[in-house]
Amino acid sequence: MPVIDIKNLKKYYKVHQKEPGLSGSIKSLFSRKYYDVKAVDGVSFDIGEGELVGFIGPNGAGKTTTLKVLSGLLYPTSGHVSVLGYTPWDRKPAFQKQFSLVMGQKNQLWWDLPAIESFILNKEIYEVPDAQYKKTLDELVELLDVADILKVQVRKLSLGQRMKMELIAALIHSPKILFLDEPTIGLDVVMQKKMRDFIKEYNQRFNSTIILTSHYMDDVKELCQRVIIIDKGKLIFDGALDEIVKKYANHKLLTVVFDKKVDQDKLSEIGQVKEFNFPKAVISVKRTAASMAAAELLQHFPVADLNIEEPQIEDIIREVFTGADVA
Amino acid sequence: MRKYFTVFSLSFQNEFTYRLNFILWRFRNVLRILMTLFLWTAVFSSRDAALGYSRTQMISYVFLVLIIQTLVLAAPSNDNVGGEINNGDLSNYLVKPISYLNFWLSRDWASKFLNIIFAVIEFSLLWLVFRPQLQFSENMVHILLGIIVWVVGIFTYFFLTKMAVFVAFWYPENTWGIMFIVLVFMEILSGFIFPLDVLPTMAQSALQFTPFPYLIYYPVAILIGKFSIAHSLQFLLQSLIWLFITHFLAQKLWRLGLKVYSASGR
Ligand SMILES: Nc1ncnc2c1ncn2[C@@H]1O[C@H](COP(=O)(O)OP(=O)(O)O)[C@@H](O)[C@H]1O
Ligand SMILES: [Mg+2]
Repeated sequence: MPVIDIKNLKKYYKVHQKEPGLSGSIKSLFSRKYYDVKAVDGVSFDIGEGELVGFIGPNGAGKTTTLKVLSGLLYPTSGHVSVLGYTPWDRKPAFQKQFSLVMGQKNQLWWDLPAIESFILNKEIYEVPDAQYKKTLDELVELLDVADILKVQVRKLSLGQRMKMELIAALIHSPKILFLDEPTIGLDVVMQKKMRDFIKEYNQRFNSTIILTSHYMDDVKELCQRVIIIDKGKLIFDGALDEIVKKYANHKLLTVVFDKKVDQDKLSEIGQVKEFNFPKAVISVKRTAASMAAAELLQHFPVADLNIEEPQIEDIIREVFTGADVA
Repeated sequence: MRKYFTVFSLSFQNEFTYRLNFILWRFRNVLRILMTLFLWTAVFSSRDAALGYSRTQMISYVFLVLIIQTLVLAAPSNDNVGGEINNGDLSNYLVKPISYLNFWLSRDWASKFLNIIFAVIEFSLLWLVFRPQLQFSENMVHILLGIIVWVVGIFTYFFLTKMAVFVAFWYPENTWGIMFIVLVFMEILSGFIFPLDVLPTMAQSALQFTPFPYLIYYPVAILIGKFSIAHSLQFLLQSLIWLFITHFLAQKLWRLGLKVYSASGR
């Protein structure tokens, strides 16, 4: 049985139209015109226990909205949603004790107190037994290496340190399901890497089910076998990461390094020249014609080095979103 | 209920983080008490009675109002429910097994607890210095009834302000304005500024059917023995009815509000 099950989920935000100017403001006090923003528009997927799924899409695709529905913060417009067998927006305590939502740009820690106080509060809110609390806290503190800053006022922590504390606060009740919304946003590269390592370790050690949204492809590439891609509220891909390449990349990239000057026009006969910076050139060719093109290059050009590569996943995804032919 | 006690204790610590703020706030309080005392002393320097109150009665009234309002009108220093609804921080609580109303109630009491401690010290000092003549009812039943109405009023005030702030679910831009108007109304109609029996009888009886006079005027008037026991009992009953009504409405608005809450501010 899947842990998370979504069928034809729709979430339309009712937004009231703001007319410009003072008279518009006054008018809108009495009669408001509403229109719908279709943030999520008929999305279905299910996720099994222990999966770590990347949930990606451009800004405004509907990722955060989906996670908010899954956490019971929003009532959906229509569709069926079941998480651990519960309907999230019933907000049953038994359900709430089994998941956590972490948003990169939001914080739950008490700003003026040391983080440990917020952990204690969460322990009480989630009714975690003393022994389990101690064990979990010790484990997390060690994994994230924050023993020395537990008693520092939260406002005095760096963004990276605070994010670690946010994670601990979110994990103190050992949730079975974790919704991570852009957890690495704003962090420097080293810190991003640490976060990724932690998420991976956490997923493996506790077999927790994790949905991770991010717009850093590195996060997803390193962590997730499966990705779900949405755009404009609609699901456009759900499968293994390398399937994206197979499905959408009908081209390959030939990277060539030349010995001597070559004529760019002649190169164009082989395929689409994406980049030409003597001595290096990148040529995009049809997937099926890749080996032919390579042979031709070797035969007719002064080639020093030649590589056949798949296009970058970032590029594929970007082009899927812009609707362009992927090259 | 341990979770709410922890909220209480964290809030208590939190209130101490802005010590200077707190000290200034208390200082303002002392000034206000002094000003009120001086004002009424001046009014009564040339006459024996004003607005139907003798000097002792009036001083007793304002002194009691000041004590009672430290518990009724006081709210946590960082009560920002409207802001939390607007910027989506409310989500932090909604995903957890905790009641938002009770969360704020705990925080409310933490701040009140702190206020009590300081108010007791301040009032004792002021009393020692000025030795104003105070006149309370000598009947213990009055005192008991007055205190119960007072405590009921503390909760009614809490639910009234929450009702006002939950408007933020529908009109996020206007929370501050609405809150301001409600607070002004409450200060005037509760009897905080002047004893309500200086108003025409018509207005007084009309006010009886609003929750406001139960916050300050009735507890004070009962404590100084202005009403018969029977009347006092009647006001206690009515204050309880208001408590139930405001509690019910606050919860109703909360539930309706959650339906339109869009957790914005991503
Ligand atoms: N509270 C809201 N009210 C109205 N529209 C919203 C609200 N939150 C998000 N939206 C809109 O819904 C769409 C999806 O937003 P979101 O789920 O935040 O996307 P993502 O997380 O993928 O960037 C966007 O067009 C956004 O402008
Ligand atoms: Mg988002």
